[in-house]
Amino acid sequence: MKDFTLRMHKERMLRVLVYIQQHLDDPLRLEILAGIACLAPHHFHHVFTGMLGESLARHIRRLRLERAAWRLKLSRMPVVQIALEAGYDTHEAFSRAFRNGFKASPTQFRRRHGTAYQLQVPSGVHYCDGVTLKDFRATRTGVKTMTVTIKQLGPMRVAFMRHVGPYNEVGRTWDRFMMLLGKEGLLGGDTQFIGICHDDPAVTPPDKIRYDACVTVGACFRPQGEIGVQVLAGGDYAVITHFGPYEKLGESYAKLLGQWLPRSGRDLRSTPCFEIYLNSPENTDPADLVTDLYAPLEPMQDILRR
Amino acid sequence: MPGQKIDLYKLYKDEYVTPRKPILVKTKPAQYLAISGQGAPGSDRFSACIGALYAVAFTIKMTRKFARKQDYAVCKLEGQWFFEADPARIPMDKWQWKLLIRTPDFINETDRQQAVATLREKRKPHEVEEVKLETINEGQCVQMLHIGPYDREHETIALMRAFAEQKGLKLVGPHHEIYLSDPRRTPPERLKTILREPAKKS
Repeated sequence: MKDFTLRMHKERMLRVLVYIQQHLDDPLRLEILAGIACLAPHHFHHVFTGMLGESLARHIRRLRLERAAWRLKLSRMPVVQIALEAGYDTHEAFSRAFRNGFKASPTQFRRRHGTAYQLQVPSGVHYCDGVTLKDFRATRTGVKTMTVTIKQLGPMRVAFMRHVGPYNEVGRTWDRFMMLLGKEGLLGGDTQFIGICHDDPAVTPPDKIRYDACVTVGACFRPQGEIGVQVLAGGDYAVITHFGPYEKLGESYAKLLGQWLPRSGRDLRSTPCFEIYLNSPENTDPADLVTDLYAPLEPMQDILRR
Repeated sequence: MPGQKIDLYKLYKDEYVTPRKPILVKTKPAQYLAISGQGAPGSDRFSACIGALYAVAFTIKMTRKFARKQDYAVCKLEGQWFFEADPARIPMDKWQWKLLIRTPDFINETDRQQAVATLREKRKPHEVEEVKLETINEGQCVQMLHIGPYDREHETIALMRAFAEQKGLKLVGPHHEIYLSDPRRTPPERLKTILREPAKKS
């Protein structure tokens, strides 16, 4: 069963990797890649980063650089054109990125003998002209140290305020949201504080990132002004606890969705992940913050039916 | 909004030191939101009281903030424990405590009553009515950071008592704890708690 799902998860991702290699000159939109992987866009980037050990943006950038290295060696294309096709507007920017990876300037690299065309990565996925990718290594660095529990949740009714803008500014939305709820006596001792990030800060432009600040409320609560109501779906969730600053939540999501999930025998449901904050950044050092991450799972029977 | 957000821990940082060895601290009278009870830590009564305390603390703060009055950070949970004998000999369900959240001096009885009324209107549990404002004056105290499970505090307290005796002081109680870590998730060996013992000349 677990072998089957790991194969399934890897095959989906392999289709994406092949597509990327065949469309390196295209914009490679998140929605299209997520569709190929049969994943919701909000899950895709976590799964990708976790499985490949690098973010989608980095992966694409690296493959374009590796292709540039091939072309420097095996073609007579002018460096400026190679730079442009690698996605760099100026020769300087290209040179900097190239030197960063290959430890030589593009011209030095062209002259030198027997230089490798590949940049070291755990997945073993590299640009290879005309050859279709057959396999890759799914990263598993975090699997051993991860404690994942499966929880069954009932539906949760929450009041929420939508934040659209840079992720590091969600604190302001929380402040206002808490003030409006708090003065109404809606923040009790058993209130849960939940965050839902609908976009990936690494892919979506900062001003377009959508995030919902949510607080559990009773059945009597009605939407008012900027505050809406939504119900977080019940069902099975894979849960891990993240210790430390919120900036590193992405790494924990990537481990859970990209490393644990493929080996778990389970599959993701398309509803977004959410996080429950167990202490408050107002009176806690970032290093001592504790957050539970919830990834929604498809019911087991749906997987067995396949 | 008037002034910057007040952080009482920064304002009174001398009272919230976390030394690895016992030291003397001088505390000034301080105002707290407080709720008293009896029962084992983690019991239903204990949890209900924590919930009520936070509910009142948040409601007062947010009501003031909405009214554009001075903003402040809600402090961490603290507790006083009243033991007539060695706690190891008292059944846990007989343990008596007062749970506290330090609150700025400008919070007054009207703020409290208004918050309790708002919470009751929203049908929050009746325990919120037991949350009172109280000023505690501990004066001179022996203080030390305890790292580890709560049930090993007696080791740290023994160090504090020995230190007090050296200084010609006696621990007079009540035993006071300031919870820096979240016991729900922090592994017991990493829990950090400030222990404070009021001390008088012996």
